[in-house]
Amino acid sequence: MSEYTKPLPTITDENREFWEGARRGKLRMQKCRDCGHIRYPISHCCPKCLSYNFEWTDLSGRGEVFSYVVFHQLYNQAFKDDVPYNVALVQLEEGPRMYSNVVGVDNDAVKVGDKVEAVFDPVTPEVTIPRFRLRQPAK
Amino acid sequence: MHPLRDKTAVVGVGASPQGKIPDATALSLAVEAFKRALDDSGLRKEQIDGLLTMPGSTSPEAALNYLRFGETVGINPRYTGSKVMGGGTAGALLHEAALAVNAGFANHVACVFGDAAATGGSRFSRASGWGDSFAIWGFMAACANSAITAARHMALYGTTSRQLGEIAVACRYHASLNPNAVMRKPITIEDHQNSRWIVKPLHLLDCCLISDGGVCVIVTTAERARDCKKPLVLISGMGQAYTTENMEREDWWYVPHQKLALADAYKMAAVGPKDIDVAQLYDNFTSSVLVWFEHGGFCKVGESGPFVEGGRIRLGGELPINTAGGNLSESYMEGWLHIVEGARQVRGECGERQVKGAEVCLVTGRGQALNCANATILRKG
Ligand SMILES: [Zn+2]
Repeated sequence: MSEYTKPLPTITDENREFWEGARRGKLRMQKCRDCGHIRYPISHCCPKCLSYNFEWTDLSGRGEVFSYVVFHQLYNQAFKDDVPYNVALVQLEEGPRMYSNVVGVDNDAVKVGDKVEAVFDPVTPEVTIPRFRLRQPAK
Repeated sequence: MHPLRDKTAVVGVGASPQGKIPDATALSLAVEAFKRALDDSGLRKEQIDGLLTMPGSTSPEAALNYLRFGETVGINPRYTGSKVMGGGTAGALLHEAALAVNAGFANHVACVFGDAAATGGSRFSRASGWGDSFAIWGFMAACANSAITAARHMALYGTTSRQLGEIAVACRYHASLNPNAVMRKPITIEDHQNSRWIVKPLHLLDCCLISDGGVCVIVTTAERARDCKKPLVLISGMGQAYTTENMEREDWWYVPHQKLALADAYKMAAVGPKDIDVAQLYDNFTSSVLVWFEHGGFCKVGESGPFVEGGRIRLGGELPINTAGGNLSESYMEGWLHIVEGARQVRGECGERQVKGAEVCLVTGRGQALNCANATILRKG
């Protein structure tokens, strides 16, 4: 297995719960203890009520594709074997949005509005990156 | 009447040669533009007592650019500073200059920009995101943010890539009439469709250029402007607005702050979309232009795709835009040349590309990851 050379997070006290959660197969985000707002990106402060009090909460990992692009241009050499690769802006069921990738299907098979669910991609012993796959239509 | 309406004016505009300029630096290009703007205004350097600058992406001094530039041209201003808001900077500095001369902080403010992005290396491919970079998922570069807008606009409203192509083709046609434009060879919709993908759904010909160049705009009060060399170009309306919450704000992709900036500018100038004779709309990517039409009230939400068809936005059409070629084809001066062209159209000095009888010009700017927006109404004095 070749070394993973793409950008990785620097694990800090602030983001550790997010990345440890991903290692355990859970998408976790911060929930404000005062107003209940679930926020992303990670921050020490609630952007709604400015409270510093929060807890990490497990999300369902479910959401839908809010917007969707495919990178053909190589901006970072580490992605040279990946282009063309997709990036989706995912609307999570609990409210926040995040960028990620839709895996397991051709780039052309994904549309805005498609239902997705989180999957967890261990790329190094320390880091597991949350990505998404298409959800089967409800039976 | 709004107390700032028609109280200030653009009295000098200047641009250095544009494109790929051997041996140029951000500083040398800015100095050349400053000299040309001074000449255009008829002012002497000693009369410039305000200096506002935007550092280029290749300016090593970054936000201390005003000090470097001031020392180079020998100005000790009463009012100065630098601002970094990407393509939102030019308009924001123009407004700041207008406020400064109106308040008496300075009499003549030079707003200056220079960059050697083509020669010095492009810096427009960085990733956004505070803390954990979105580059972890491969999301990076200015194009990607606009591709997010384009993809969702297409999904919600049925907008097509060919409609984006209409904007690229119109801008290139206008550049073909501009001797100072970098890309002058006309293109077709088919050329646009056949150009390679950059970040799908955006093709290469949906993207602005990367250019070397400098631009300077000199602002004073309307009263003082009457003594300057060229016909009077009044700053009639100004508006700015920002969205900093890329992720938290659900409609960030639709750049909702543009609507606020435009509404403020219209209100100050007491005009509406029907009054606009010509528009210089910030075009880092073609999809950015679509959203301006909707927020500016030129068409309804979701209808900008059909709106740009049929020659409406070309010279001779109902609303000619980016008459010098814009960021897409004239030169990528991050919107600075949009102000220059706006002033020249209102003065009536654009030759072959002049919009006949143009008296009111809308100029817009936007910058960073869809974060910054501004709008200015220029009016013939
Ligand atoms: Zn809160």
